[in-house]
Amino acid sequence: MSDLTSLGAAAAAPAGAVPAAGVDPALASFIYTEARLADEARYSEWEALWDDDAKYWVPMHPDHDPKVNVSYIYDNRRRIRSRIAQLNSGNRHSQTPPSVLRRLITNLEVVAQDADTTTVAGNFVIYEYRFDLTVWAGRYEYRIRARGGDLKLAAKTVHLVNAGGPVSTMSFLV
Amino acid sequence: MTELDTSAPVGVGKVDVAALVEPDRVHGSVYTSQEVYDQEMDRIFRNGWVFVAHDSEVPEPGDYVTRRIAGEPWIVVRGKDGEVRVLANRCTHRGNRLCNADAGNSSSFRCPYHGWTFSNDGHLTGVPMRDGYGSSFHEVRDAMGLAPAAAVDSYGGFVFASLNPPAITLREHLGNSTVALDRLLALSPTGELNLRAGWMKHDMRCNWKMVMENNVDGYHALFTHASVYDAVKPAKVSHVPSKVEVYVRDLGNGHSEIDYAKEYSRLDEEFIWFGRIRREKLPNYVAAMEEARGAEDTHRAFVVGPPHTLIFPNLFLAEMNIMTVEPLGPGRAIAYTTPALIPGADEVNEKTLRRSEGAMGPAGFLIADDGEIGARNQLGLAAGSPEWVVLRRGEESDITDETGIVNHDKSAETPQRGWWKHWSQVLTGTTTAPDA
Repeated sequence: MSDLTSLGAAAAAPAGAVPAAGVDPALASFIYTEARLADEARYSEWEALWDDDAKYWVPMHPDHDPKVNVSYIYDNRRRIRSRIAQLNSGNRHSQTPPSVLRRLITNLEVVAQDADTTTVAGNFVIYEYRFDLTVWAGRYEYRIRARGGDLKLAAKTVHLVNAGGPVSTMSFLV
Repeated sequence: MTELDTSAPVGVGKVDVAALVEPDRVHGSVYTSQEVYDQEMDRIFRNGWVFVAHDSEVPEPGDYVTRRIAGEPWIVVRGKDGEVRVLANRCTHRGNRLCNADAGNSSSFRCPYHGWTFSNDGHLTGVPMRDGYGSSFHEVRDAMGLAPAAAVDSYGGFVFASLNPPAITLREHLGNSTVALDRLLALSPTGELNLRAGWMKHDMRCNWKMVMENNVDGYHALFTHASVYDAVKPAKVSHVPSKVEVYVRDLGNGHSEIDYAKEYSRLDEEFIWFGRIRREKLPNYVAAMEEARGAEDTHRAFVVGPPHTLIFPNLFLAEMNIMTVEPLGPGRAIAYTTPALIPGADEVNEKTLRRSEGAMGPAGFLIADDGEIGARNQLGLAAGSPEWVVLRRGEESDITDETGIVNHDKSAETPQRGWWKHWSQVLTGTTTAPDA
């Protein structure tokens, strides 16, 4: 069922998107911290970045609606907690030992902004070494909220270029 | 080559499959040999009934989905006569793959190479610049429709095909497993399902039979899935066999299951299998069920829940999910999973979607670890010693009754023994009639 038409169909940035130079360094820094914690399997520290209304979404197609379509991941805050508890258990076999990971994030743009929340999108490549080297790529979209003096992750959407599948086991933090 | 390329070298001459399967053990090469794999594709996937699609994926005339069976591309399409056909996805002219979408709706398929056009019932209807065929044109056109699967039939909306003429009917093939299909359909007020939420496609680095056998392995959960039960939530009922009346069953014809019905009935509690949700949370669904089926049958359906049943060779009724497996070689398979949604029951379906994501697919709390264990199984089997995989658990406590061969210990390897018995019969050509 793999399909040529589903390749690389991640959401386009709306007109007026502000590219990298316009991304607040504090937001970029937050994004890179999130990436490093995920890469290094620092699960509880990664979990602490999330806000209470969290949405961690890896759809099978950018146009899919979670009310009618199944996603690879569609976690609310409670399920993120469960995911991290499973990873921390030491018995999540597909991440025991954790995959060796390094990801690159680039082409950052601010795509939306309201009073306390900024939506930043960018492209990524992840190199995962487990049994062999797997390359993942796609587009991230983050909703980052200023809360008190802190930044919190309200939503992270991951549009994989190969979301149309097949997709390898993906139990690391993508 | 990486360490996951574990396929054994192709041997000389034809492997004697009959020598690889005994009643309580199988030779490790059944998972690793390219020659065994080639025989499987021929005997099981090209000459027997396989699941291809569900009615709800092609509800309207012209609706189609594309599938692969034994590496071959096929189109499953509903014609304007309402009939579902399974047609080779290959232009009969020069072999171009004709339809290149996962799914869609079309009255015809036009080859982009030379413009040959086929109606969605397979007839060749258009050949550009026909004069080039001279007086033989009509003969060429009439003979060159899309190749159909030899047989297509369905049960409860599940569409099966046999690419070559099958030795038995679909009903004969399904045998006792129709009870499981009926058990799933009994949860729908209309008796229909919706399998249109999308298929998760999980690239598994293991033999396709491991994916299927594991689905009815009642022994592994306490260990493979310890992280879920320890860190996330306890199992719905105990996985310790002595504490529950959960049975495993060889249904015959390679079909098998883990059956929770007795345990759930003993507890007489609804929706143990659905996060123990209270029926008050699903008022519209409960009302529709009671109107369609009456209060007593509705209660019974809510208590016993959906099946956990494997239908040979490639369909797994994974409670409120449907899984089908596509072999890609001795050490590789794709597991396709979609939630079983109930038409009109939105309050159930959204929960089913979230439960499906939680358990199934490449990031699921359960199946990601099954995939990992499968890959390591494949790595372990690269060792030539011991030569055999042992399937003796519960051999002495199997009971034969009208439903098949049952074992009251869910950790018994009764389903696996049933799978291999049938597999061996199919590969050696010793089953031309139902063995149930």
